[in-house]
Amino acid sequence: MTVDERKQLTHEIKHLIIEKLKITHVTADEVDDDTPLFGKDNPMGLDSIDAIEIVLALKEKYDVRLADQNLAREILTSVNSIAEFLEKEFNERKKS
Amino acid sequence: MDKVIDFEHNMAAHCETGTLTALLRYKGFDITEPLIFGIANGIFFGYLESSNFPFPMFIVRSRPGQVRENISRRLNIKINKYRFSNKEKGEAKLDELIGKGIPTAAQVDFFYMTYMPDWQRVHINVHFINIIGKQDGKYIVSDSYFPKKSELDSETMRKARWAGGHMSPKGFIYHPAEIPENIDLKKPIVKGIKRACRNMIGLPVPFIGVKGIYKFANKVKEWPSLARDTEHLSHEIMKINILLEDQGTGGAGFRFMYATFLQQAAEILNNKDLDDMSKSMMENGDKWREISYFAAKIGKNRDLGKDRLEELSCLIKNRGDYEKKIFSELKKMV
Repeated sequence: MTVDERKQLTHEIKHLIIEKLKITHVTADEVDDDTPLFGKDNPMGLDSIDAIEIVLALKEKYDVRLADQNLAREILTSVNSIAEFLEKEFNERKKS
Repeated sequence: MDKVIDFEHNMAAHCETGTLTALLRYKGFDITEPLIFGIANGIFFGYLESSNFPFPMFIVRSRPGQVRENISRRLNIKINKYRFSNKEKGEAKLDELIGKGIPTAAQVDFFYMTYMPDWQRVHINVHFINIIGKQDGKYIVSDSYFPKKSELDSETMRKARWAGGHMSPKGFIYHPAEIPENIDLKKPIVKGIKRACRNMIGLPVPFIGVKGIYKFANKVKEWPSLARDTEHLSHEIMKINILLEDQGTGGAGFRFMYATFLQQAAEILNNKDLDDMSKSMMENGDKWREISYFAAKIGKNRDLGKDRLEELSCLIKNRGDYEKKIFSELKKMV
């Protein structure tokens, strides 16, 4: 994945989260790629129910399954960690 | 005594299967967590009501310890187990095993796993960890719920191993002692699937297996009459999500893990039908996850009117219909 493609992917993820969770008080540009998505540091202020909705949204848009919740916790840490996971999944698909 | 065993740490979906898998792999038996779960017929459903419970509850896996027992029996693996009422003796035995270089699993109260974030730590007496060393008076722990190896001081470990309450650990520890060479997984896989089918569709018990799912679907509509108030009801409804997704279930009440088991079983048995069944089980897991989300959402929003609970009941009933079909087909395949 090129730098531009990666940038596009993180942008897409932010839009997906904002749209699915109907967040109106924050724009995608205000969300830092590395800031934890959950907790007080993130302007979106997400909780565990939002986490399930993000998991379902990722499944719907990219057909990826975050089955294991321990792993899901790691993947949903930040926009960048989601992008890393998706990049890995896309590469696996290309191989198979 | 300072001793640190060279033990490969890995995260796992569930503590009991993850701990056992890691110990078996350490002993040179290359097996996966889903295979352990499936061979031991870990998949289950039960809707439980009792005057001993403050509120009805449901379970999505076999009782704690049964996976270990079934694996021991079906794969002919000798497991040494110890339980202690005397704390000094229990500590001495653990130290002795560690001193001999034997990684040992321990049943603990999850609350005392102080390396975990505070918000995750709740009192659960049936958490399992592997203890892989002792250094400077601290135990070295491989906890499959934590990304890296960690430490617990002796005092905390003592509290964790001898916590009181329901299903208290009583210092329980175990380690695989003898593993046969060249284990053929084919027969144990078939046995595990047959037993899972029996538990899900073959038992004449109205609250177990698919019958239990139907009972849950019916009874959840009555939950408002059992709850003290809306707050209590919303808490219980949101707990559906926790029990399905957040208790080391591997997601969707162990259905994803069972789907992975079926996929791996299909390869070992060279059975394409099982592979198709794995896909159906994955889809089933997706639908259980939708129930999780639905329950969490209506619980959080206090949107708990008759129509919403009817909707929830209908979603659960659909899972009963689907699992009845899946396990009936699965039964014919093995």
